Amino acid sequence: MSTTLTPPEADVGARDRAIAEDKAADSRAKRAKLVHYYGMPLFLLVVTIALLLYIQGSELDSIETRALATDVQLDRLQQHLLLTGVSTFFVLLLAIPLGIAATRPRVRRYAPIVIGLGNAGQAIPSLGALALLFFLFRTIDWLPSTGTIPVVVSLIAYSFLPILRNTMVGLDQVDANVLEAGRGMGMSNRLVLRRLELPLAVPVILAGVRTALVLNVGTAALAFLFGGGGLGETIQAGFQLNRRPVLIFGAVSVAILALLVDYLAGLVEEFMTPRGL
Amino acid sequence: MAFLEYLSSPSVQRTILVQSLEHIRIVGYAMLFAIIIGLFLGIAAHRFPPFRGPILSVTSTFLTIPSLALFALMIPIVGIGDRGPIVALTLYALLAIVRNTVSGLFSVDNAVVESAAGMGMSKTMRLWRIELPNAWPVMLAGIRVSTLLTVGIAAIAALVGGSGLGQLIFSGIRRIGSPGALNALLGGTLAIVVLAMLFDLLYLAIGRLTIPRGIRD
Repeated sequence: MSTTLTPPEADVGARDRAIAEDKAADSRAKRAKLVHYYGMPLFLLVVTIALLLYIQGSELDSIETRALATDVQLDRLQQHLLLTGVSTFFVLLLAIPLGIAATRPRVRRYAPIVIGLGNAGQAIPSLGALALLFFLFRTIDWLPSTGTIPVVVSLIAYSFLPILRNTMVGLDQVDANVLEAGRGMGMSNRLVLRRLELPLAVPVILAGVRTALVLNVGTAALAFLFGGGGLGETIQAGFQLNRRPVLIFGAVSVAILALLVDYLAGLVEEFMTPRGL
Repeated sequence: MAFLEYLSSPSVQRTILVQSLEHIRIVGYAMLFAIIIGLFLGIAAHRFPPFRGPILSVTSTFLTIPSLALFALMIPIVGIGDRGPIVALTLYALLAIVRNTVSGLFSVDNAVVESAAGMGMSKTMRLWRIELPNAWPVMLAGIRVSTLLTVGIAAIAALVGGSGLGQLIFSGIRRIGSPGALNALLGGTLAIVVLAMLFDLLYLAIGRLTIPRGIRD
């Protein structure tokens, strides 16, 4: 009789194994979450400390000491952040409303043209596009021809098309059935936009913020070419003076800044996305 | 038009031709390395799920680092010249190749792979004869995206002592405010756009020649 029944030990064993597997999967998920949230900041912290130790540890000559002076670097960091922040703010202010307007039913058939232009624009090298835009804005009478303003305007114009394209593609992906259901419930076009389309497009808009920030933090590194300052200046100084510590400090600090901005924007994106999405 | 006059000068044509060839060389080497490494990483990420996350997040982290910074970082490691840009561009090109290799391999119908196993094919044979050919169109699309990306970014090489069409753009930037700047800027930028289009055509042809008729769409 007992032979026909499943031996109880085996059952217990299977259950224990299942529980153990569950726990293992749980701890794996927890570990993945820990790496997800703390991996990048920890990595950046280690890199920052290593960079500072390297600079502290190398014997700097007078040129390097001058190039790496703290107030000079802080100044450039501030310029870099200002270039990135201001250009991101304005490009979002322009591109997101325009992206919304360009996907309205009445003008929707022109949307593929804009998206196609955005795609084609990706083939233009950033260095050339930025330089041509800067050249163009310098010739406009009411804009100052030197200083930060033409550089910021060039940055805005450079990131405008990609952000506009992303917004439109994102809005395009909002489920048409949901909108149809809204209209079926008697909502007006405006109500559909406000109650359904915009909330559903929040992730798109947040992704746009992140993309714009990362794009601009990178192109701001080229601002020194046009007299806009920023941390690219340190890289350039290191290269031209042939001073390795200066070059490494400039390059690593730009990289850290970009990764940090991307990480923080990613966190914001994650926490501000509505729960249901 | 002044620009057409500029383009008709033989010395300008020579400069553009020479720098285009340099540009193609940099992109070519970078893509060669990126395809080999990306294919390997992509297959590894598909076969071994624990590696998938790390491989994808590391390759996408490369893409977040601004190009000037990554190019400059290569100088202390491999020296001044084209080697640094080639390594940096290889790193940039990896993500699209790895991602598309993984998703291409996942898109292969399981029943096809299983029937190959039923026919007695070994795991390696299945990979080379069944899985990779079926994943190839998606992989090729990734390689194409990567190439277009690197053709554009390769212009930055000129800022850190490398060659290629970036030199022409850079010479234009240094002359901004004096005559001739616009010609150099336009010449360099348009030549890169033309190169990107030529690479696109090349991939179209490669696709035609290498994608088996049965899975072409």
